[in-house]
Amino acid sequence: MTRNFSAWPVLLVLSLISLPLAIMYASVFVDSFTNTPPGAILPNEFTLAHWRFLVDPSIAGNIWVATLNTFIFALSMVVIVTTISAMGGYAVSRLNLPYRRFFLAGIMVMHAFPSVTLIIGVFLVLQFAGLYDTLAGVIMVKATLMLPFGIWIMKGFYDAVPWEIEMAGVQDGASRFTVWRRLILPQVKPGLIALGVFAFLDGWGEYLLPRILAPTSEFRVLSVYLQQISVTDSINYDFNLFKSVGLYYTLPVLIVFIVFQNRLMNIFGGGTKG
Amino acid sequence: MIVSNTTSAERGIRSSALTRSTEPATDTVRAARKGRARTSPLGLVMLAPALALLVAFFFAPVVLTTIFSFTNMTSATGISGGAYVITPNLLRDLEWQGMAPEAAQSLSGETISVDEAALERAAAAGVDPDFLEEIEDELLGDEFDDARSFERELKTLPSRPRRVRDLKLAAEPFSQSILNTRFATRDEAATAIASIAPDLSAEDRNTVLSAAYTGWVWTTDNFERLATTPETARLITNTALYVGFTLSLFNVGLGLFLAIAIFYMPKTSGTIFSVLWLLPRITPVVLYTVMWKWFTWDDGFLPVVAENLGLPAFNYMKGSVPTAWATIVSLNGFIGASFGMILFSGALRAIPQQQLWASEVDGASRWQQVRRIILPQLRWPILFVTCYQSLSLLSSYEQIWLTTNGGPGNTTNVWALEAFRVALSNYTGNLQYGYGAAMALVLVVAGLALSIIFLRLFRFNELVEKPKIEF
Amino acid sequence: MPIQLQDFTKRFDNTTVIERMNLEVHDGEMLALLGPSGCGKSTTLLAISGIHRVNGGQILFGEEDVSEQPSQKRNVGVVFQNYALYPHMTAYQNIAFPLEVRGMGREQIDKEVRAIAALVHIEQYLERRPGQLSGGQQQRVALARALVRKPGVLLLDEPLANLDAKLRLEMRSEIRRIQQETGITAILVTHDQVEAMSMCDRIAIMNEGQIIQIDTPTEMYRNPKTQFVAGFLGNPPIAFVNGRASGEAIRLDADEVTLPLPTGARRPKDGEPIVVGIRPEIFGVNGGSPIGGRVSFVETQGRENLYDVALPSGAVLRSIQPVRHDISVGDQVTWGVNPDALMVFSQDGTRL
Repeated sequence: MTRNFSAWPVLLVLSLISLPLAIMYASVFVDSFTNTPPGAILPNEFTLAHWRFLVDPSIAGNIWVATLNTFIFALSMVVIVTTISAMGGYAVSRLNLPYRRFFLAGIMVMHAFPSVTLIIGVFLVLQFAGLYDTLAGVIMVKATLMLPFGIWIMKGFYDAVPWEIEMAGVQDGASRFTVWRRLILPQVKPGLIALGVFAFLDGWGEYLLPRILAPTSEFRVLSVYLQQISVTDSINYDFNLFKSVGLYYTLPVLIVFIVFQNRLMNIFGGGTKG
Repeated sequence: MIVSNTTSAERGIRSSALTRSTEPATDTVRAARKGRARTSPLGLVMLAPALALLVAFFFAPVVLTTIFSFTNMTSATGISGGAYVITPNLLRDLEWQGMAPEAAQSLSGETISVDEAALERAAAAGVDPDFLEEIEDELLGDEFDDARSFERELKTLPSRPRRVRDLKLAAEPFSQSILNTRFATRDEAATAIASIAPDLSAEDRNTVLSAAYTGWVWTTDNFERLATTPETARLITNTALYVGFTLSLFNVGLGLFLAIAIFYMPKTSGTIFSVLWLLPRITPVVLYTVMWKWFTWDDGFLPVVAENLGLPAFNYMKGSVPTAWATIVSLNGFIGASFGMILFSGALRAIPQQQLWASEVDGASRWQQVRRIILPQLRWPILFVTCYQSLSLLSSYEQIWLTTNGGPGNTTNVWALEAFRVALSNYTGNLQYGYGAAMALVLVVAGLALSIIFLRLFRFNELVEKPKIEF
Repeated sequence: MPIQLQDFTKRFDNTTVIERMNLEVHDGEMLALLGPSGCGKSTTLLAISGIHRVNGGQILFGEEDVSEQPSQKRNVGVVFQNYALYPHMTAYQNIAFPLEVRGMGREQIDKEVRAIAALVHIEQYLERRPGQLSGGQQQRVALARALVRKPGVLLLDEPLANLDAKLRLEMRSEIRRIQQETGITAILVTHDQVEAMSMCDRIAIMNEGQIIQIDTPTEMYRNPKTQFVAGFLGNPPIAFVNGRASGEAIRLDADEVTLPLPTGARRPKDGEPIVVGIRPEIFGVNGGSPIGGRVSFVETQGRENLYDVALPSGAVLRSIQPVRHDISVGDQVTWGVNPDALMVFSQDGTRL
């Protein structure tokens, strides 16, 4: 890297801009373990009281059920999105299809397209299909909204696999399906993992769809759980409890993010280049 | 080119000019078809699940949005068609709109008749079976003009209830009014009206029937309303401001600054900053928005700090229009900045190091280096981020919904949020699907148009390569 | 197995790449498809292997028309330029893959893999992944994988292009040895004339989607049918000088040089513009017709030197001779040229 420039003015500006973020995230950590007197900025005592929600369902409801629900939701997302994108991406990348160009353009438009605008239509479709207010409905909708992105990402990864491997496979007498499963799929494993992580994070954090499309369902995910403790009347608003639950809620995301950081960078970059 | 005899005698050589011109046209057509790549059934199978889901939850919603934007559908009308119900309120409204009071009077009248249907209703309502049997024997087929004469008749029966209240209850199922009765079809309703108010003019009857319909009807009112209400202009302005500010200040501006600053930084500190700026993107939105509440609300971090410094302290998120705008723009911008950061970082790494070394040897300052060498090469990524993020900002409302919710007043309301609120999250409880769909349709059309322009801009055609295996 | 292309035509969209090409490869021979890049040789190879479909004509393996068969049914072994080894499998698994998809038993597979590994000398590397193998070893694995299922035809697409000079020499003879030991019909696609001449029984030289000439390497070098073939073969390359026919002699343009017409050549019309090809080894010999010029460049090649001789008109001839210390750049020389080895071409490039 070039070194003959002095770095501190830029560093200073950067730190100033980053300060709000740093303070917010630091406060989530600090406040969930401490108490702060009203009007003060710094905490004055250490406490674990804000974590009682883990064992006491009377505070905000059973967190473990919500956690399990969120896991089911996020994992279903991973399975559906990776499986269907892995297949669909291969088809549009490598196989001869009628209207392939048209389909690719469609995927690309949908990929860039603001899909949340469709929520009214989706709501009506679910009503018709009888899937409104069901877990299955929400999962399918959420997964579908992610599919154009997933297919586009996987297409990018498939495109990068040399054609010669594919050609060698058919020369060796394997069917295209065998070629895909045994020769090509192992080459795009990084893409699959990244997409899976992405789907997990997306599903884990999702709030809007469960809230709108399954408002009264038994199935309560952590985001809804969290929102429900934050909309109690604002006088008794317990930021500390909220932050503890929030930290609990975000920890898996953080862990997944740190473990898969580099792979995710791949997908953020690769998926949007074109 | 002319090929002489000696060469064309050689095997494998043909004068292409000659053979091409003598070849019949039909041959060429058949040959073209012969070599065309074969459709892969496997491809169709592998694409089928994606297609099915996309059709169900992507295309169908677009189609439905379009269809419903031309209806007056609300949660009151229901989705699957309606029935005909004449309510006292409806009659009052109609009278107020100029219908003759006698007509309304005749419609609200009641008839009392003892027939099989009425007996069944009474049995279902729990009236003493012995009593009913007597009614059937004595009064079947009779009709009465008012309740009093019917009750008088009932009192003559031996097993009548002792208490007056019970008697009235028993009489009730026999009395029939078309008020508050649901008729499944227009014909049924018309028949009922004809029987109770035979004198009603055909014109009045039609007016009543149309007004009595509880289901939805086709209409272009939504678009007329959108075109005429002053709220539209305000929403468009707000949306443009929101997208413009967030995009220019954060998604592109800050993203660019972050990418370049991190690019010049030692690796470790660069990683710390890029991870910090990625956090908003992966933090669940509910937590993220509440963090901002904690940061900007009355007892939150910023007001407390401001108070200690003697600056005006209030709820910055909802307390004033400028601070509310600053909050939603930076709140969304902090999420969006990482997108630009990652993309620009990738593009920066692709710039050959030699160019930077060369410029340093030439004595360029860092600012000159950024301006003359780096920025020109980031033109395409910047354009891409602008296009892509303007689309997603255009339709993003989740964060605004969870923070200012358009407030204070309606000052930070944007198009997408309003569409969402009108259709799906309304205080009054009457969700206006039709109007919301019309608003969404405007966004869908705008989004489609923009995406197609962007596809052109980024030369989509060059991204599509034909499959190389043709079998 | 003999291969025959009859009126083979290939189009991409509306661009015709190959128009009615005819080619016959004899059983057990190794034939080179030689030509500059973009001449259609790789397209031809992909059509034979069943990757590309033909737009016209037929491809025959023996008596059987295979043009409408996919690769899986053709039983063709292909070695790609980048070897296309499956990166996630070991060398052993790579070689076993074609047998596995045929449903062969485990023991049988093991026997076959070890036999072919012995043939290409990679027994000790079988447990390694492609990433852990050198270029030459990868090449051998690719060969083994192509040959293990005993294909009727072996196709080699620029097999030596990714190797360094020393390995290239080694693999050249190795591939030839393996081809001869197995007796398989092979087609080698290359743009390198040295590879084609040193490895193959016959060469088919291609340009712009057409086969210009098919011959043995020696015959093609000695007796090129066109100026293109003469220019493509030979290193250092042949020099071309414009001239005009004048009775039994050739006058080089703008130079006071007259050369006799080589024996056996068709006589051009008087005054017809022609092109004279002079290979470096026939210029600078004892005797022959003298040509005078100035030495403009000397390239040392070790055993021999290559001298560029500029004629007064500016045309440059090349001469390859044992190292001489009496000549340096700028010297005026008059060297003889062997008139019988001259090649004369008409303006459109055909040999006279």
